[in-house]
Amino acid sequence: MAIAAKHNKNLRPAKHPRSDQQSQFSLGSYKFSFALTALLFLLSFTSRIQGNETLVLSFRGAAFALLLWQSHLMYLAFRAKETRVFSIVLRPQHYIQAMVQSSVYLYWGYYWQPVYEHGWLIIAQLLFAYTFDMLLAWSRRREYTLGFGPIPIIFSINLFLWFRDDWFYLQFLMIAVGFMGKEYVRWQREGRSVHIFNPSAFALGLFSLILIITNATHLTWGHEIASTLTLAPGIYTFLFLIGLVVMYFFSITLVAGVSAISLFALSALYYQTAGVPYFLDSEIPAAVFLGLHLLVTDPSTSPRTPLGKTLFGLLYGLGVFALYTILDNLGAPTFYDKLLCVPLLNLSVIAIDRAVRSIKSETILNLWNQNWFKGRANLAHMGIWVAVFLGMSLIGKTDGKHTGDSLPFWAQSCSAGLPNACGRLLQLKETYCGDNSAWACNELGAHYKEGKITEIDTGLSLAYFERACELKYQLACFNLLDQNLLGRGDPQELDLRLLLREGGQNLMNTPLSELYARACEHEWSFACSMTQVANGTRL
Amino acid sequence: MEFCLFDDTGCKRNKAVTIKPPPTNAERTNSEVKLNKVPSRTIGISAMIISIFFTAYWMSLQGSLMDPVSEDMESSAILFEGFRSDAWQLPDDEFLGFVEIASGQFTMGSNPAVDRMAYENERWSPSRRQGSVDLPTYYIARFETTNAQYRKFLLDTNAPTSASAAGMIPITNITWPEALSYARWLDTQLRQSSLTPEPLRQFLSAGGRVNLPTEAEWEKAARGSDARIFPWGAQPSGAFANFNGTELLAVGSKACPDCSYGLSDMAGNVWEYTRSPAQDYPYDSNDDFQHLIEGALWVMRGGSYADPVNNVRTAVRGSVGPGVRNSTIGFRLAISQL
Repeated sequence: MAIAAKHNKNLRPAKHPRSDQQSQFSLGSYKFSFALTALLFLLSFTSRIQGNETLVLSFRGAAFALLLWQSHLMYLAFRAKETRVFSIVLRPQHYIQAMVQSSVYLYWGYYWQPVYEHGWLIIAQLLFAYTFDMLLAWSRRREYTLGFGPIPIIFSINLFLWFRDDWFYLQFLMIAVGFMGKEYVRWQREGRSVHIFNPSAFALGLFSLILIITNATHLTWGHEIASTLTLAPGIYTFLFLIGLVVMYFFSITLVAGVSAISLFALSALYYQTAGVPYFLDSEIPAAVFLGLHLLVTDPSTSPRTPLGKTLFGLLYGLGVFALYTILDNLGAPTFYDKLLCVPLLNLSVIAIDRAVRSIKSETILNLWNQNWFKGRANLAHMGIWVAVFLGMSLIGKTDGKHTGDSLPFWAQSCSAGLPNACGRLLQLKETYCGDNSAWACNELGAHYKEGKITEIDTGLSLAYFERACELKYQLACFNLLDQNLLGRGDPQELDLRLLLREGGQNLMNTPLSELYARACEHEWSFACSMTQVANGTRL
Repeated sequence: MEFCLFDDTGCKRNKAVTIKPPPTNAERTNSEVKLNKVPSRTIGISAMIISIFFTAYWMSLQGSLMDPVSEDMESSAILFEGFRSDAWQLPDDEFLGFVEIASGQFTMGSNPAVDRMAYENERWSPSRRQGSVDLPTYYIARFETTNAQYRKFLLDTNAPTSASAAGMIPITNITWPEALSYARWLDTQLRQSSLTPEPLRQFLSAGGRVNLPTEAEWEKAARGSDARIFPWGAQPSGAFANFNGTELLAVGSKACPDCSYGLSDMAGNVWEYTRSPAQDYPYDSNDDFQHLIEGALWVMRGGSYADPVNNVRTAVRGSVGPGVRNSTIGFRLAISQL
């Protein structure tokens, strides 16, 4: 708004230029799109990009493709003696969303360095997105509305998935598909032609599906993104607070709140029934908590009525809960659960609206009556959500220690034959091994060699031993030297710093005595005696 | 809502600007209809579907890209003089490049009175400068493991291969577990193949294993039974070994007819991994498992092309982390009883 007003101060109302547009062609607006394309090209000369040849080619290839497209459009416009225009419209739902997302990047990146290193790549995606969106509008002979619209789309995509440098061209393709989905995949809703899918969720959902089918998750940073949010201390509280901003401005409390509450409830129910947590390391994985605040809450692709929003949130909770198990059973990475769910929900919006309209009961319809709270229904909903979140925090279900964080807990549960416990134990150890815990890698090698809690796989066993050995776990090296041997030991110091970082705490500089004390609290029995040694020697 | 319309004359020049409310969807639709030339949505949807299928196809290809490329297949079949392309690129001699080291004692460690360049960690014990170690018969490779041999292993195991390198240059930039992995693979090949010479086959059947040598096996092979300071004798010589230099040489480039057991490059060219953990002398292979320590290192021997003369002596003991990749570190294999 401010920018538009500033421009307007200096402007004198003039004859609408459109009458001239029909009769003459000029470079005009193309200069802007050319400038964005040139910036994208120039970014390929930065040191971050120059470090990888594929990245350089991806940037230049994308710039070249955009240039070709612009040239083609210019040629068509020149022949038709038309010109293309754009207008500036700044919408709060875009720039507030973008600011909230930026704060997540800043906070998360402070604790996980690759986020900041990804900065140049996000800028490149923004340049690409703006140009692509503009050219798409002009290809459809429409004015382009310039604002902050592409920013939340790009930020949203990158909060959940980005391709590694060697395959970064696929990131540009994913963005292109997202914008094409917004432009072309539409339906009539309440008499208007609107896009069906949230553009970022469409791109994420579609590419997630392809990555699962082609078993190509290793081309992305998906695993790391999903698991490193918790490296930022108090991430749940942080997401909750920024979520309140979005809830306040855009009345998405019913969607976000109900989905969170339903997930909390389902997790608790499962724990009571099975004796083990449903999700591995929290009641709601941090990335899911992020998704239910910033991914599923696009007002234009969700129901409009309060009851519809409630159903929408409930379905998201159920969907994520169900997809987690489905993906796990399929052997696919479970972090896709929150991404696959949104496009399916977008498709159900009309059905939800129709279902709500078909309800005859006045009592149900008036359940969320706006007048109940003197027109401040959203604030009332937010109040309930704040109370629920505080309650969950007080009983330790958000940040802080969580039963599922403890490996000994899963080991005991696995020995006791509790459902899914052995699978979770392996999964947890795989995560820690991926984080360079040598002990966890050696444990995995041992499991695949022994075949007690999983099938024997000699190749995989050796691969894990090799990794553990490279990480200087000497027993693993001996396991490699002599295949008749199976050496297993206790976690080493670095292992403990990784294994005990529940809730994402950074334990890298924790004194050794504290570390062992913490390990002892987490049922690592060997650490209890080490605590005394560490205290005695003032380590 | 106010907004500014940019066109060829543009707001930036403060010319030809219109201030108006944004068009409603209906208005927009009408203006599109008036132009009457809006490209069909079918083209856009088709482009999107093609992009999606292309992405799916491309991603599925990326999984298979982890397999060796055809260039590697070609390089595996290249003939190197003196080596057998049909036998894992091993040397073309009676025992496929393995040399028998007869059982018996040898002197291990350094005597500073004889070897002025000796390091402290070569001393046998506080009371003794050198020790005597008795080893059973074993075989050791005449040459360091080459790029061609290692690439054959990578091809055979469908592991990703790096860019092509000169075949007879020793393999470097591999970790200690990777060297072991190669040894394990060759062990299986030799056990299963009819190309394996009978004495080797019998040795393997009797409990022998292809492996990295222990540091004792390595040292005995390098200095022989007469406690040489260098593999060829007591005096340093650039004629027999590649050291103090700037580049790797193909294995066996420095002929050394007088070297112990006729082995090549036991001094210089590349440091060679052993299967012994780095710990103080006296050497005892039985105590390898008794000193498990965090961040353990493994012994490497022989020095490299980049090292000075004192580091290419037969008794020099280097150590390295198992995850290290370095352009001066490679390995050679042994076949011995565990």
